[in-house]
Amino acid sequence: MSSISPESIREHTQTVFRNVFNDDEIVLSDAMTADDVDGWDSLTHINLIIAVERQFGIKFATAEISGLKADDQNIGTFLKLIQKKLDAKR
Amino acid sequence: MDDLVSQFRAAANTNEQPKALRALVAGLKSIAKTDPAQAALTLRRLITADLDYSAADAFSRVHQLLKPSLPAPSKKLAILGSFTTHQLAALIELYLFATGINVAVYESDYGVLQQEILDPSSGLHAFKPDVVYLATNRRTLGRRPAGNESANDVNELVAQETAAWSSLWKAAHDQLGCQVVQNNFDPPPWRVMHNHEMRHPAGLARFISKLNHAMQDAAPSYVTIHDVDHLAASAGRWAWGDDRFFYHAKLPCAPEFLAGYAHSVASIIAAQAGASKKCLVLDLDNTLWGGVIGDDGIGGIRLGQGDAEGEAFQAFQHYCNDLARRGVILAVCSKNTEAVAREAFEKHPEMVLRIEDIAAFVANWDDKARNLRLIARTLEIGLDSLVFVDDNPVERALVRQLAPEVAVPELPEDPAGYIQAIDRHAYFQTVSVGAEDLQRTEMYRANAKRQQAEVSSGGVEDFLRSLDMRARIDPINSANLERVAQLVARSNQFNLTTRRHSAAALMKMAGSPDYLTLTVSLADRFGDNGLISVVIGRVEADELVIDTWLMSCRVLKRGVESFVRNVLCRMARQRGLTALRGEYIPTPKNALVIEHYANLGFAKISGEVGQQSWWQLPLSAAAEWPTFIQERTAHE
Repeated sequence: MSSISPESIREHTQTVFRNVFNDDEIVLSDAMTADDVDGWDSLTHINLIIAVERQFGIKFATAEISGLKADDQNIGTFLKLIQKKLDAKR
Repeated sequence: MDDLVSQFRAAANTNEQPKALRALVAGLKSIAKTDPAQAALTLRRLITADLDYSAADAFSRVHQLLKPSLPAPSKKLAILGSFTTHQLAALIELYLFATGINVAVYESDYGVLQQEILDPSSGLHAFKPDVVYLATNRRTLGRRPAGNESANDVNELVAQETAAWSSLWKAAHDQLGCQVVQNNFDPPPWRVMHNHEMRHPAGLARFISKLNHAMQDAAPSYVTIHDVDHLAASAGRWAWGDDRFFYHAKLPCAPEFLAGYAHSVASIIAAQAGASKKCLVLDLDNTLWGGVIGDDGIGGIRLGQGDAEGEAFQAFQHYCNDLARRGVILAVCSKNTEAVAREAFEKHPEMVLRIEDIAAFVANWDDKARNLRLIARTLEIGLDSLVFVDDNPVERALVRQLAPEVAVPELPEDPAGYIQAIDRHAYFQTVSVGAEDLQRTEMYRANAKRQQAEVSSGGVEDFLRSLDMRARIDPINSANLERVAQLVARSNQFNLTTRRHSAAALMKMAGSPDYLTLTVSLADRFGDNGLISVVIGRVEADELVIDTWLMSCRVLKRGVESFVRNVLCRMARQRGLTALRGEYIPTPKNALVIEHYANLGFAKISGEVGQQSWWQLPLSAAAEWPTFIQERTAHE
């Protein structure tokens, strides 16, 4: 599998966010957290995990699923996590 | 809106799916504001058992949005879970909505099902449910074998566990007057004893299997055990038991299986309410066999041993046959010549379904939505009791549009996938199978036969048109003399004058310039009826006097009389005549034709109706009458 650029990961993830939260205005920035996205509750959280897993063909660990909403986490760390998993797949 | 729906269907299992789903949901939300009834109707048709989690979740949100405008709930469902039931509850509600049942849902806190049922001051008691759903799973089990118990100890454990649930069911039923649905138990995907697990008395898989059987046996009629174990096995136990989501959110299975899970529960509650489908309507070509019977013939279609695809079609027929044997009505709706279609059932050695398994057999060239209505009327069931199976996506789309009440599952192109494509919907969900179910097809077949006459007269013109009748006109000649003489000698009912001319006399008239003779041979899509009508006219001055007019009763009410009238007018004109003159001579057997000439627009010129009477039709006033019979020339 060829490498996916960070820009491409961001773009695909942004599309997933827009689909899950049904909001075309969402633009991902590294500093964004769950609190910044309307409707990011425990239910949409699961939708998001599933959608991202399906989009990239990756699997998050149990701790990573819970950790996404932790205080020190944001979109920047989430995108890095996806990158790491994609790199591990190659 | 229709475009958005078809784009969504087309995008299934592609990368375009999320985008198409969003566009569709946006469309639904926008019409929900102006026309909630239309939005509800559109949404209802989108909700199928095979929705993936994101689609089911998105539709569930639209449903929640529409709820204030929906009719008041007709049923109260309480869900008592030993896991998080929130998503499951919303989806059960969604699937019940799809079957036309609006429910009010009560959800207890997680893990307090005994308290809710046993405490009269609980929220459950205040809610007064019609149905209590005990959403349990293996983690709910109080005790399980430790590994060193004897067979007797384990049996005792099974009995205790069953008794505990039984008393809870009884308490719910006695105190709340409700029905109970309870999950059985799905074993974990792992086996510490591997293959030996089912043999060792204390094997966990063996224990759960025994318990599931014991629960089924112990369940009284007001309890339905929901077979979650089967859902897990169908999904694949490791995929089903993706425990990340249990640890994270106490979900009972991987999220991707939640929609199917909810559908399964909803189908049971719908079945209790009598909302299951009743009749499986089958297309023929490329649905029950491979190929086109009308083109390929009986020897050319693919069915049964010797051809891989043929075996798949035969397996599908076995599935349909098994459905019929448990009480699902089978019907056929096919674009075919009926006689040709029936022949496959009667003569193909590899056919599993026989003609007597089909309660209503409709093979014609009309549109299928119309034929499905005919089938529903014939069987006296609702259009919404039908499931229509057709390999042709165009037919499916047409029926979805013109008869939206009918359930139309998507079919894969490969017949090996037909069974799954239908079975997954649990259209014919049932909470009991009794003796009457097993005789249902026979009963409906008898009904259908009684209805047939009525149905045809309901749409006589369509029926006649569909017969595709072709008539050939010949004079009496040596080739048909024998048959003509036989009819002249024997016809009683449809015979205006009952003159018994001999064969010799008939030949003489046929050869005489003073006579005009005609015979009619009629064929239709069922086959050739042969020579069925004879008319003999004698030229007198400028009139054609009708000496004999008879017809076989096999072709009554097909418009043959009008057709013959047209032909007689034409022939008389060609001879330069100005009128037809008809005679009626009553006999004890020909009351059928008392009104014959009146019906054909002749005016009575002498005698009384029912007595010997003379009738006249001036050719100047006789326009051609419409019929559904095409005239063929002799050599066709």
